[in-house]
Amino acid sequence: MNYVIIGGSAAGVTAAETIRKQDKESSVTLISDEEFALYSRCLLTYFIAGTINEDKLYFKDKNFYKENDVKTYLGKKAVSIDRKKKSVSLEGGTKISYDKLLIATGATPKSVDIPGIEKKGVFTVRKIDDARAIINMLDSVKEIAVLGGGLIGLRDAYALRQRDKKVTVIVKSPQVLSQMVDMDAARVIASILEKNGIKIMTGVAAKEITGKGSVEGILLDNGERLACQLVVIGKGVKPNTEIASVAGLKVEDGIVVNEFLQTSDKDIFAAGDVAETYDIARESKRINALWPCAIEQGEVAALNMLGEKKTYDGSLSMNSVDFFGLASISMGITKPKEEKKYEIISRTGENSYKKFILKDNRIVGMVLVGDIRPAGVVSALIKNKIDVSSIKEKIVDDNFNYAKIMPVVKEFGDKFKQEEFRDTVLSFK
Amino acid sequence: MKTKDQKPKTKDIKIYCDITKCVGCRSCEIACAVEHSKSKDIFSAVREKPLPKKRVTTENIGAKIISLHCQHCEDAPCIKACMSGALSKDEKTGATLHDKEKCVGCWMCVMVCPFGAIVRDIENHIAVKCDLCPDRDEDYACVEACPTGALFTGTKEEFEKKIKGRKK
Ligand SMILES: Cc1cc2nc3c(=O)[nH]c(=O)nc-3n(C[C@H](O)[C@H](O)[C@H](O)COP(=O)(O)OP(=O)(O)OC[C@H]3O[C@@H](n4cnc5c(N)ncnc54)[C@H](O)[C@@H]3O)c2cc1C
Ligand code: SF4
Ligand code: SF4
Repeated sequence: MNYVIIGGSAAGVTAAETIRKQDKESSVTLISDEEFALYSRCLLTYFIAGTINEDKLYFKDKNFYKENDVKTYLGKKAVSIDRKKKSVSLEGGTKISYDKLLIATGATPKSVDIPGIEKKGVFTVRKIDDARAIINMLDSVKEIAVLGGGLIGLRDAYALRQRDKKVTVIVKSPQVLSQMVDMDAARVIASILEKNGIKIMTGVAAKEITGKGSVEGILLDNGERLACQLVVIGKGVKPNTEIASVAGLKVEDGIVVNEFLQTSDKDIFAAGDVAETYDIARESKRINALWPCAIEQGEVAALNMLGEKKTYDGSLSMNSVDFFGLASISMGITKPKEEKKYEIISRTGENSYKKFILKDNRIVGMVLVGDIRPAGVVSALIKNKIDVSSIKEKIVDDNFNYAKIMPVVKEFGDKFKQEEFRDTVLSFK
Repeated sequence: MKTKDQKPKTKDIKIYCDITKCVGCRSCEIACAVEHSKSKDIFSAVREKPLPKKRVTTENIGAKIISLHCQHCEDAPCIKACMSGALSKDEKTGATLHDKEKCVGCWMCVMVCPFGAIVRDIENHIAVKCDLCPDRDEDYACVEACPTGALFTGTKEEFEKKIKGRKK
């Protein structure tokens, strides 16, 4: 068998590892257009902040490819897939034939369509090269503008503030993290950022990036001008589906896959930020462009490429951030559109905020700010779609923990997919 | 079979808590903190700064109590969520290992551990979890410290036998 993987990040590397664990004979080939291999993208803001160095960016051992006997084409872009001949063409003309192919091409940051965007000093943060370029500029930069008040924008701002720069975040919505949390939680998070010197401007948008060749400032849509020498766009991502759509595979928001992560071509699979999968909380298709989802999908896709019929349970939106010691976690549906269909249980404390979103007695989402201890236990209730009627009064309590759900574990034993749940209730009568 | 008091090192052996016997005395918590202190001595440990961190907690289930720690899940959600590569599986022992040098304190693992077994070490800004007492050759510190015999090291079958025997 010839296994070929396009993309050498969370999904692609996990797939290579999973295939190799079970099949020592077949050839496994991985193509990535990045030279620098095996680094975790999620650590780039820590790298920009200066909290870690390049050596710590690796999420796998540097010799991973060699040890797992994976043939690599690094720094090479895959440009097309010939589904009839079952081969992938690389830039430069090399052709690689496959029996089973995985597309794990990930995503690219969204840009903004305003004049001046091409100027020197405008960045997005997705690849090691972006991070290196930003770090190289830092010495000559005093003021930085970040466009976007979502998670990505705030992570970028947080990193740059740790380099002692004057950072301003420009947020179109009336609050930060508008996709993720409501006004109350956003206020708590914004206030810790502001207390630590990050300026947040809500309800305004950048109209133009000004300067001669390089960035000198930003013109806002309220007429105000802001001096800055660096602009970081932190606005979300779009999936790299081009190679799939050109090959005629079914693509909607992302590459469409079935429960085996198989595309519309039975020998081609997709995983990670590029794939549109079933969302457990929303019960519909969605791209959850997240590290844990990419890892899980890489594994499941690989098992199916190996011929095991392994169903993917589905993805779940989830995120965890820590700004200046204030931790926040969100998961699933956090801002339901039709509020009437949902039940909301929340509690606001001093510097903490908890909100759980329920539908038909199942938790489908949560937001935790400050006290994040219950997150993991609740994540299990969400993932396993557990009826929580008997314990729901307790979930906002300060001492909510695993023990509080044990009666439910006892009751719904088999609904919890991991064996370890049952181990904990063996002596619980 | 393991000989008594020797720390076992195979996949199918783990630490179980017999809920009917746990009285919530927290001896396991103290023993765990001491085991993870610099001095490994309770009298010095309480004066260490930062204070050594325990990785096991006693939690109430109504009137009952359980001593709970990392289950070293076979298919561990925390490992899949860890974006720095700090969490990994020891294929031989089945232990879920945490590398504090690689950890950046992003709390992705806290977000997904179904047992709430990972705690935040705020001072060092890293995750802390049960590491199965790497410095010990004897049985685990918590198990050894448990005065009621609620904590038990062994296979699932051995534990099931033990709790069955107790009922009769
Ligand atoms: C700064 C930052 C912070 C983040 N923080 C978090 C976080 O805290 N938590 C979280 O869950 N997620 C986070 N993410 C998201 C996470 O990094 C992604 O979800 C994850 O990397 C997706 O993995 P993937 O393998 O699907 O794709 P990617 O990581 O995007 O990798 C795809 C790879 O394929 C390559 N490629 C694309 N097209 C081709 C082609 N045609 N030929 C060859 N190679 C190609 C790309 O260059 C890339 O190397 C963060 C991302 C960034 C950028
Ligand atoms: S930390 Fe939690 S998820 Fe990870 S192995 Fe232990 S119990 Fe399982
Ligand atoms: S807190 Fe540390 S161990 Fe946990 S997921 Fe983040 S890097 Fe990994």
